[in-house]
Amino acid sequence: MPASEADPPAMIRLEELTKYYPGSDEPAVDAVTMDIPEGEIVVLVGPSGCGKTTTLKMINRIVEPTSGRISLEGEDVTDVDPDRLRRRIGYVIQQVGLFPHRTIAQNIATVPRLLGWDKERITERVDELLELVGMDPATYGPRYPKELSGGQRQRVGVARAMAADPPVMLMDEPFGAIDPITRDRLQNEFLRLQQEIEKTIVFVTHDIDEAIKMGDRIAIFGNDHRIQQYASPEMLLSNPINEFVDAFTGTGASLKRLNLTRVRDVALSDWPTAASDSPREELQRRLAETEHSFLLLLDRQQRPLRWISERDLARSDWTHHGGLKVRAVVEPHVTLHNALDEMLTSNVGVATVVDERGAYQGVVDIDTVMTAVNAMRAETRERVRVAPWHGVTASDVADATESRA
Amino acid sequence: MSSSSAGTPGIGGAPPSTDTGVTARERLRVLLRDPARLWQYFGIPIVVAVAITLTVSYVSGQELIGREERSLDTDLLTALALQHVRLGLTVVFWVLVIAIPLGVLLTRPWAKPYAPAFIGVANAGQAIPSFGLMVLFAIWLGTGETAAVAATVAYCILPVLRNTMVGLNQVDPSIIEAARGMGMTKRGVLLQIELPLSVPVMLAGVRTALILAIGTITLGALIGAGTVGRTINSGIISFSDPVLVTGAVAAASLALLVDWAAGIIEDFVRPKGL
Repeated sequence: MPASEADPPAMIRLEELTKYYPGSDEPAVDAVTMDIPEGEIVVLVGPSGCGKTTTLKMINRIVEPTSGRISLEGEDVTDVDPDRLRRRIGYVIQQVGLFPHRTIAQNIATVPRLLGWDKERITERVDELLELVGMDPATYGPRYPKELSGGQRQRVGVARAMAADPPVMLMDEPFGAIDPITRDRLQNEFLRLQQEIEKTIVFVTHDIDEAIKMGDRIAIFGNDHRIQQYASPEMLLSNPINEFVDAFTGTGASLKRLNLTRVRDVALSDWPTAASDSPREELQRRLAETEHSFLLLLDRQQRPLRWISERDLARSDWTHHGGLKVRAVVEPHVTLHNALDEMLTSNVGVATVVDERGAYQGVVDIDTVMTAVNAMRAETRERVRVAPWHGVTASDVADATESRA
Repeated sequence: MSSSSAGTPGIGGAPPSTDTGVTARERLRVLLRDPARLWQYFGIPIVVAVAITLTVSYVSGQELIGREERSLDTDLLTALALQHVRLGLTVVFWVLVIAIPLGVLLTRPWAKPYAPAFIGVANAGQAIPSFGLMVLFAIWLGTGETAAVAATVAYCILPVLRNTMVGLNQVDPSIIEAARGMGMTKRGVLLQIELPLSVPVMLAGVRTALILAIGTITLGALIGAGTVGRTINSGIISFSDPVLVTGAVAAASLALLVDWAAGIIEDFVRPKGL
C-alpha cells in the first residue's frame, strides 16, 4: 500500500464541502476538504451520523452540497447536470437496488443504454462483466434478481456500476448486509478485481476492520462531522492524531496492523527439519543438536508431515508415524494476522509456511511477528518525518506519541 | 369483491421460471399448472354458460304477454348488453385517464401535502350512494349516457387513485436511489422503474374499478342510459318474473365475464420477475 511521497494525481477533489439539511442548525458535513488520488481505494469511516455517507452522496450529487466545490478529473462538477455526471460515476449501495422486473443482463446494461450504446456492444460488455465478477453469462444473464442469492446480487450490483467503465466508483457500505463469511469472500474478490481495473473508489463503511482491509487511505470522520485524520491504514494505526481516532481504531490497533503485512513480506524463522525416512538414531542426533524440542519431518517433496519430540523418539514402539500431525500450515500470501491466528492453534506454537506446491519454506513464530511489528513501527515513523501530508505533521505525531506515553 | 384479487398469488405461485422465452404460450403453461388458476380460467365461463342456459330454458317455459315479449326480444337484449359493456369500458377509460396521472402527481415529493385533500374528495365520491350520485349528475347534465358515465366515473375513481398511490409508494426507495445514482432522469425512473413496479397493485385497483363500473352503470337505466338495468327495471315495473330474472342474470353474467377477462389480462401484463 503505497503512501508515497509523490501522490498520484487527484481524481476527485473536495473543497470545503459542507451540507446543512433543511431545518437543522448543525451541519451534516462540515467543511470537508480532501483529495482522492487516482486508482486508489479511499475509505470514509466513522460512527453513525458522522457525515461519511452524506459526503459520498455529495460526490454524485444525490445530495446537493450547501457550499463547497467538487472536482472530478480536474473539472469542476459542482454545477453540471447531475444526471450526466452520474453516468460517469459508478454507484453501489448496500441494498444493491437491482431492478426486480429486469433480468440480470438488463440490469447491468442500464448505464450503457442510457449512454446510447448499440445493442451488440452492450451484449458484449454485459457478458464480459458477468465473467469478471465470476458469474456465467449464459446462466445468470437471463435470470431475475429474485432468483439470485444475496452475494450474487451484490456482485451484479458491482458489475452494473462498472458497466460503462467509469473512472470512479462510489460504494456505500456495499458489503454491509451480507453474512460475515460471504462478506470476507466478496471483499477479497473485490480487492483482486481492483488490481485489474484500478478504479478510483470511494468506499463508505462503519467497520474499521473493513476500512483497514480495503483502504489504500482512510478518512476517519468524527462526531463533529469533520475529517479527523486522513492517512494510510499504517499511519492511522501507528500514529492516531487524536484521542478520537485512537479510540475509533480500537484497542486492538497493533493486532490490526498485522493485517497489513503478508507472510511473504517478512523474514521467516528456520526450524530444524529432517527427512521422514531417516533412521531413528539420526533423528535423535539432529534433535540433540538443536535448542528446539521438536523436529519437523518432511516427505520427499519437502512437504511437512509431523512434529516429533525426544519422547516420541524414545518410545519403544517408535514408527515414522509417531509424533504430532502438522497443523497450522499457511501459504505466503496470507496476512500475518492469519498466521498468528494459526500459530496460536498449532501444537508447537509456530505456523508452518509452505509454497503453493506445499513444500516447506520456514516458520512464523512469535519472534517473526515481533520483528515485523517493530519494523512497521519504525518505517511509519520514518515516513512521517520525511513526508508529512494531509495535515499530519511530524509535530502532531510527536504530540500524539507523547500524550500516549 | 374483487379486492381479493390483490391477494391472489401471481406467477410466484408457480415454480420460479428461469426461462426467458417470454412467449405467451409458455407463460400460459406455467400459469395453468396452478389448480386455483385453472378454476379461474375455465370455471367462470362454465358457471356463466350454465346460468344463461338455465335462464333461457326457464323463460322459454313461460307464457309471455306482449310487453314481456318485447322486453325479452333477443336483438334488444344484445344491444343493451353491448351498450352496457361499452359504457362500462368508457367509464374505466376515463377513470384511468384521471386517476393514474393524478396518483402519479400526488406521490411526487412536492405534492405529498395535497394528497389527503384529493383522497378525501375521491372518498366522498364513493361514500355518496351511487343512486344519489346518478340523480345529482342527471340534474346537472340532463338524463342520458353522459350523466350516467360521469356519475359512475366519480364513483370509481377511488380504487384506482388509491392503488396507484399505494403502488408507487411501495416501490423500494433503494431501487429508486440506485436508478437515480446511475444517472436515470426523474422521468426515466418514473416510466421505467416506478410505474412497472407498481403495475400489480395498480391492476388490482383497475380491476376493482371495472367491476364497480359494470355494476354501477346498471343504475344508469334509471336516468335513461339503457344498459341491462333497463331490462331489470321493466321487470320490476311490470311485475314480470321472467323479465326480472333475465335482466338480473344478464347483469351478473356481464360482471363475472368482465372480471374474468380482466383477471386473464392482469396475469399477462404483470411484469415478470416480480
